[in-house]
Amino acid sequence: MDGLIKLENLRTRFHTEDGVVNAVNGVSYEMAQGEVLGVVGESGCGKSVHALSIMRLIQIPPGEIYDGKIWFDGRDLLTLDEKEIRQVRGRDIAMVFQDPMSSLNPVYTVGFQIVEALTLHTDLNRKAAKEKAAELLSLVGIPEPKKRLDNYPHQFSGGMRQRAMIAMALSCEPKLLIADEPTTALDVTIQAQIVDLVIRLKEELGMAVMWITHDLGIVAEMAHKINVMYAGYIIERGSAQDIFKRTKHPYTMGLLGSLPKIDEAPGTKLFSIPGLPPDLVRLPKGCPFFARCAYRKEQCKTEMPPLEEAEHESHIVACWRWREIQAGEIQ
Amino acid sequence: MGRYILRRLLSVIPTLIGVTLVIFLFQRLIPGDPAVAMLGERATEENIARIREQFGLDRPSFLDRDALAEGDLAGFFDSQYSRYFGRLMRFDLGESIHRRIPVAETLKERFPATLELSLLSMSIALLIGIPAGIASASKRNTALDGVTMVGSLIGVSMPIFWLGIMEIMLFSVFLKWLPTGGRLPTGVEIQSITNLLLLDSLLTGNFAGFVAALKHIILPAVALATIPAAIITRMTRSSMLDVLQEDYIRTATAKGLSLKVVLFRHALKNAFLPVITIIGLQAGSLLAGAVLTETIFSWPGIGKWVYDSILGRDYPIVQGVTLLIAIIFLFVNLVVDLSYAILDPRISLE
Amino acid sequence: MEETKFEINGLEDFAVREHRSLWIDAWRRLVANRTAMVGLIVVVLFLLSATFAHFFWDYEPKIDLDYGAKLLPPQLIATEEVDIHLFGTDKLGRDIFRRTIHGGWNSLRVGLVAVSISLLVGGILGLLAGFFESIHMNFWESFILMTLLGFALGMLPAWIARQFFQAILFALLGAGSVVFDRYLNGKKKHRLYIFPALGAMLAALPGLMVGPMVALVCGVVGLLIGLLLSKPVGGELFSNIVMRIMDIILSFPSYLLAIAIVAFLGPGLEKGMIAIGVVGIPVYARLARSAVMSVTQKEYVLASHAVGESHSRMLFRHVLPNILSPIIVQATMGLANAILSAAALGFLGLGAIPPEPEWGAMLGDSYKYLSSGAWWAVLFPGLAIMLSVLGFNLLGDGLRDALDPKIRL
Repeated sequence: MDGLIKLENLRTRFHTEDGVVNAVNGVSYEMAQGEVLGVVGESGCGKSVHALSIMRLIQIPPGEIYDGKIWFDGRDLLTLDEKEIRQVRGRDIAMVFQDPMSSLNPVYTVGFQIVEALTLHTDLNRKAAKEKAAELLSLVGIPEPKKRLDNYPHQFSGGMRQRAMIAMALSCEPKLLIADEPTTALDVTIQAQIVDLVIRLKEELGMAVMWITHDLGIVAEMAHKINVMYAGYIIERGSAQDIFKRTKHPYTMGLLGSLPKIDEAPGTKLFSIPGLPPDLVRLPKGCPFFARCAYRKEQCKTEMPPLEEAEHESHIVACWRWREIQAGEIQ
Repeated sequence: MGRYILRRLLSVIPTLIGVTLVIFLFQRLIPGDPAVAMLGERATEENIARIREQFGLDRPSFLDRDALAEGDLAGFFDSQYSRYFGRLMRFDLGESIHRRIPVAETLKERFPATLELSLLSMSIALLIGIPAGIASASKRNTALDGVTMVGSLIGVSMPIFWLGIMEIMLFSVFLKWLPTGGRLPTGVEIQSITNLLLLDSLLTGNFAGFVAALKHIILPAVALATIPAAIITRMTRSSMLDVLQEDYIRTATAKGLSLKVVLFRHALKNAFLPVITIIGLQAGSLLAGAVLTETIFSWPGIGKWVYDSILGRDYPIVQGVTLLIAIIFLFVNLVVDLSYAILDPRISLE
Repeated sequence: MEETKFEINGLEDFAVREHRSLWIDAWRRLVANRTAMVGLIVVVLFLLSATFAHFFWDYEPKIDLDYGAKLLPPQLIATEEVDIHLFGTDKLGRDIFRRTIHGGWNSLRVGLVAVSISLLVGGILGLLAGFFESIHMNFWESFILMTLLGFALGMLPAWIARQFFQAILFALLGAGSVVFDRYLNGKKKHRLYIFPALGAMLAALPGLMVGPMVALVCGVVGLLIGLLLSKPVGGELFSNIVMRIMDIILSFPSYLLAIAIVAFLGPGLEKGMIAIGVVGIPVYARLARSAVMSVTQKEYVLASHAVGESHSRMLFRHVLPNILSPIIVQATMGLANAILSAAALGFLGLGAIPPEPEWGAMLGDSYKYLSSGAWWAVLFPGLAIMLSVLGFNLLGDGLRDALDPKIRL
């Protein structure tokens, strides 16, 4: 697998009247072509902001991407001018957003909005683009696609709108599809359909997918790699096996612990991580998870642990004490 | 869609009846004997009798229960209001007390002047307000935005009669560039087609007439346009800002569209909906503002006429003009609502 | 773009931070807003100068006259012939500075009285309309409403037949309808016959004592009222009626209506206040209604409903505090508007009666001899209007930003 995109020390912050919000604090990783990457974490852990930073969709001001590099196709996306980044958006990297209800423009037909993306990045004329748009709608499983093109978004159900959004995102066959919690706003049954749809399309089109979610269950089955984020840091990264079976970071353990398990005795209380994530305006000097961590020690308070290899090359974790925890030396 | 239009049309009828009722009730506000109030203390018996007859002042206001008690059903409904309403149905607005000319006739004569002034003012307001609002919203929190916002707030706070006076002071009294008032200088004739002088002079190729008319209209038009321009600017800006926060704007940007296309194709059409409502509302305040502006600039429209009639206590004129303006205002808002149905696909389905 | 905002708002919910009250928070935001502070300073200056002038600076407009000093331009230094006239003098030789400062009191009065009228009447109507449109009336509220409705409608036949007791009969009929609905719910069909018949009888029989025609008309009216009363109306009807009346007032451009009202009432500052106040009622009614309706959809109100809190408690504990901020903003801007409208009335000669110092009237007096070049006579009163109006508008704008956390970024 060849490299597709590489983030180096990405840092994004927002200037608000309450102070500077440090949303992304030095994120580095690499994605291969055709890879499925899951990005998980609680709300406000910087997972969406880091994705929007890749697309340069952060509003400046109040936002600011103040450090780092994003290598894509041999270029640093952060140094591209406005015109060049527009070429990347939609054509090379496409994005599907959380709320399908509000992500489509209510005053234009669904067809118009898909055709718009097609004519922008391809040489198709309007007529050909319209046919292609119908094909795309049928590809994402919308019945009577030709007729549906002339519908307005409010005539679509939530699930259908998300399918239309996916069709729009796929219209120019991007190399990377970023799905930012695309199923959160949908019913559970529809959620599963959308997940299956994206997996199927990924197989057919061979693109890479970044799936951002707070639901570990969704990424467990589909992701090659998983990034666990906390307070704007990646605190653990590895394959699904690594994350689920060979968990190293106490926070990841907490996340996994708070999933309900089918084999548990009824009446067992669900585990929950005590406390709240830190205020991103006043980040602690040491480990951001310090205040909530059951294994903390003095060093954790003053020094941020570096990401280091655990067991093998592709499983990394940022914790001072993972070895001791692993060995069962502390409880 | 057809049903929506029909329903909206029908909903105007009760409001319209309510409007006639309010205007009818105006004359009940007159302290003392209305006939004496209108004619003054030294009025002749004959004139007082005429006014009583015209207003039906010898009848009760709404219903005559005494007539009913005597078994007279028709007399029961014969009242000041029913007579007033009946006359309105025949487009009869009564006649001027002092000059004894039908109100409707003078109205027809004077309305084009007000219409011309209002149309020009509205055009100025739109030409300033909408681009300023868009620019201000797309450059939020910059110096341009700040200047526009403070400027528009000053505009909203501007007493237009004072602005008019200061305009005259500067451009007519001190600089002597423009006339102090009126619609045309004496000696200039414009052949009347629509009675909108700017339009008529262009249609007849009368360039000198056009310049003369423009010189007269420009000061009052600017004064009258100030507040609507400021309000439209603010509304366009805040509506654009709202829309620019929407998810679909981010979707459009994520597609790779340029800022210009996002702004003008995706944001503007959505942002325009609330702006239309404000434009409709401003049409009403333009007509009301005409009373002040026309008074200052001696503009021979219905506003100046109302002012003169108030001073002369010529109430039928005040009632007639108020009714006309209310009807126009209702009609404009009706058009606004219907244009919503055309612009917003979510409405037409209902 | 939305996402970034969402992230940050989301954070605020979680973030560990000191607890601050909403109002203190809003005040801090207001203080941080430069234009709002300019507005606040202008407003405070206006309030202070108007109040101090009224109570501590004697001025008797009726005897203020000095033909020797007429139409003097602004004079900053006293000489042997003339006194200091900061803003010059008008055609009667009156000091414009003094009259402008004293005029502030009149503008302040008009503003406060007019806004109070609009706010009280409009606010209460809107509050009730919105509240009962979104929350079901209970038995006693419905009982009171129907009794009042019956009484009000009954006034018509009572007036026609000159028999006051008819109105009371209809009030009882209205009350009966609520009782019927509560206790005899099974016989729904019958009430469509019972109530109109009862209504016709209640009106026609006493009407017979006056005359047959009266009995006939009253009977028809009674029948219609009975039909209306046959089913207890909900809050929606009340809201509909109120809002319809507001629509009618709103179908006049607002200050044309004020001008028309004063034109018929006759000129005077007090009449101007009332006219401006009445014209402003619908604005507050609509605002209050929509604010209430959006608040009552909120979970915390639904929750308090679900646990069976009384309606009055819900109204005062939950709804009222939560609609305060839009009302405060509107009232601040309303003051600006009222001052502007009062000045317009004064300018047209429909407001304060001369020689009372009032900014609009001062302008109206002076603009007639504009050609003499006495710019100071029109500049300063107008500037006073504009600055005080601008002050309230700036403050209102700042308040909106400070009280509406939606646009915090």
